[in-house]
Amino acid sequence: MLAAFAVVVVVFGVVARADAGLVQAGTYVAIFAPAAIGLSVLLGNVNQISVGQAGFFGIGAYAVGYLTVNQGLPFWIAAPAGIVVAAIVGVALGFIALRFRGHYLAMATLAFGLIAVGVFHASPLLGRASGITGIPFPQLGPLTLNGYPAYWAAWIVALGAALLTLIVLRGRAGRAFEAIRNDELAAEAVGVPTRFWKIVAFAYAGALAAAGGAMFAAFLGLVNPDAVGVALSVDFLLMVVLGGGGLVAGALFGAALIGFLNVAGHQYDNWREVVYGGLVIAFVVFAPSGILGAARAPFVRARRAAAAKAARAPSRAEGHGTSFPAVRAPSDEPLRVDGVTKRFAGLIALDDVSFALRAGTLTSIIGPNGAGKTTLFNAICGIGRPSAGRIAIGGVDVTGRRPHRIAALGVGRTFQNARLFDEMTVLENVVAGAPRAHGKDAAANASALLARMGLAHLAGVLAKDLPFGERRRVELARAAASEPWLLLADEPAAGLNGDERRRLHADLAALRDAGTTVLLIEHDMKLVMAISQRVIVLNFGKVIADGDVATVRNDPAVVAAYLGTAS
Amino acid sequence: MLQLLIAGLTVGSEYGLIALGIHIILRATRAVSFAQGEFAIVGGLIALSIVDALHVSVWIALAGATLAGFALGIAFERVVLRPAGRAGETGATIATIGTVFVLLYGHALVPSWGSEPHPFTPFWPSSNVTLSLSKGEPPLVIPAQSIWVAALLAVALVALYLFFERTYYGKAIRAAADNPLGARLIGIDVRSTRAISVGLGIALAAYAGTIIGPITLVGGAAGFALTIKGFVAAILGGLESPVGCVAGGLVVGVLEALVTAQFGNDVAEPIVYALLLVMLLVRPQGLFGRRDAVRD
Repeated sequence: MLAAFAVVVVVFGVVARADAGLVQAGTYVAIFAPAAIGLSVLLGNVNQISVGQAGFFGIGAYAVGYLTVNQGLPFWIAAPAGIVVAAIVGVALGFIALRFRGHYLAMATLAFGLIAVGVFHASPLLGRASGITGIPFPQLGPLTLNGYPAYWAAWIVALGAALLTLIVLRGRAGRAFEAIRNDELAAEAVGVPTRFWKIVAFAYAGALAAAGGAMFAAFLGLVNPDAVGVALSVDFLLMVVLGGGGLVAGALFGAALIGFLNVAGHQYDNWREVVYGGLVIAFVVFAPSGILGAARAPFVRARRAAAAKAARAPSRAEGHGTSFPAVRAPSDEPLRVDGVTKRFAGLIALDDVSFALRAGTLTSIIGPNGAGKTTLFNAICGIGRPSAGRIAIGGVDVTGRRPHRIAALGVGRTFQNARLFDEMTVLENVVAGAPRAHGKDAAANASALLARMGLAHLAGVLAKDLPFGERRRVELARAAASEPWLLLADEPAAGLNGDERRRLHADLAALRDAGTTVLLIEHDMKLVMAISQRVIVLNFGKVIADGDVATVRNDPAVVAAYLGTAS
Repeated sequence: MLQLLIAGLTVGSEYGLIALGIHIILRATRAVSFAQGEFAIVGGLIALSIVDALHVSVWIALAGATLAGFALGIAFERVVLRPAGRAGETGATIATIGTVFVLLYGHALVPSWGSEPHPFTPFWPSSNVTLSLSKGEPPLVIPAQSIWVAALLAVALVALYLFFERTYYGKAIRAAADNPLGARLIGIDVRSTRAISVGLGIALAAYAGTIIGPITLVGGAAGFALTIKGFVAAILGGLESPVGCVAGGLVVGVLEALVTAQFGNDVAEPIVYALLLVMLLVRPQGLFGRRDAVRD
């Protein structure tokens, strides 16, 4: 897609060389494209809205204006300086953005954009309302980048930015973005440092916008506050929504469309903007994936149907007796929970819970609904800091650590409601389960794991198309992908039929046999009694019984808790 | 100093009403209306046209603009918020930003409106109220318009209070906002309560844009700035608290007046925006809101 776009750029450049107006229009598109690509990554890949993209564009433009005109530095120093400053400001905005989502994030980024314009407007160094004029054209050896040469220079930068973005999105960053977009909490639980990647995304988007802004200042020779105001931020949003968020080519396409509409409609100033506003609304409502997204939709649908068909084919070589690679916990005590208490406003969900697990064992936690089982799992995984007490995993105190750091130690987790990455295929889900593995290895390992679990035929199916029972096993596969030595499984058998239950049972036993210490929340007593070495009973946040299966089954407190008599 | 306070409270009333509109729409639809300030501008312009075309009193124009705002709000809900809501919170937010463009550049296309602001007939053609506080100091001059704005703000608040607390329909709207499914189960038409809530929110914006008209002019391109100040007010007071929204508006108005007097308008605007960021970071639930109202 990008190659096709590059061809169009070259052909247009050759055909239009005699028409200064067309060349200028083409240059404009290249100037605005990087900012659109950056916003497309934010909005489409990481699902973070920004209404402040023009602020970064302004930083790039003003950096070139100020450093070349006031300081006499060459463009080639001024532009990178602006990009670096924008990236740093992007990191700062990213930190702020961590706190918000949805319309709060829109407000916060809008405030940033307005503050940026306000600073440009108020600063005497930056020429206040009239901005900076007389910015020299960049000099490349004997060549002055102005007019026709500027077209080529701008497009080399824009296509370079597009290519760089494609490469970034194909790698670990892209996988992390995709996981965050689908389900932030699940992404953290499989070990994706979501905060880090969100900040990276804001810095990257800011840097790209600044590159565009630097070209704007250099090729137009001026910059002023009005040129980099909120209207431009909205134009960037429009380009992304129109072309299709999350698609690099979509952002280029959107930039091209708006660029030429701007030129074609330049005498209909107000009408043009009214149409833009209407287009934004219409696209959000009727084509949320943009023009390119809509054009791709038939292919995506066909691929989805083919995958679903392949999945219906009888799976061969089921293999009873899945085996997993052997793992070893770094200590004899993979998990120690010490006096953990968790209070929510007025409610004590966990009350001084203590226990320790021995390596390579399978322990079940049972208890009535609301007993605090899932809260305990969350506390162990780092989702919500305990109000009191300490948690050590593999001999390391992890109390208060972020979930992704705990996952990175070698801890896997499945959720009560099977939080898969719904817009990703089964294979991609499992690849995402091992976020530190590298490209080819990651895919090969994930395929092998799916094959071992008898799930290979589902590899290409989108997670949201999976039947309920398969979702559970795919989530287990995702948790197993990082080869964890401690696995927390939250009611993995809930809602499964007998056959699915038996297979899940076998998977859990196989994981334990491979050396993984398993902690299981389960309501199905038969399953609990069959595979557990030890049972811990929680009621009202307290451990009321702890021991082997026989002991717990006959414990009067347990019987009372389950039958509801006063104890 | 007191003079500044009065000027601040006067524009603050407008911010408070805009914030209140944002609050009502957010409660009902879970979407934040970025178009609120723009609707205030359009409301003021409609009132202006009513006076110019029909030669009626400003009071009728105020009623007309408020009703027109209500109708625009119903249309806004039907054409933008409801369909865009299916695209999720981010989608709905983007669509309301699109609405800003339609209104901002659309109103400039109307020949008698244009993109420049216009003066507006005062609500009371009288001079100012002058109070002598103490000898030797300049007397305190309260513009009659400020008194009217305060009175009209109070009228709007009392009317809203009575509507939401004392009428069946007002209670139905609150029930539907708090628990749409539960409201549906007891027979409330949640679709129409949503539409009416948005209508009310936009009517408030139009009302605000009109009553402030004699002081700040009507029309122009200031709508987005108004929205932001409404946000700052709403965030300051707590997006979930109607009283907080109005109080926040007054605080923002006074603050803006003080900073402008001290450092000039160029500095005041960024400071108000920075206040939004700081509030979002430090106390996103507002000065009066509860903590648990914010996340997710």
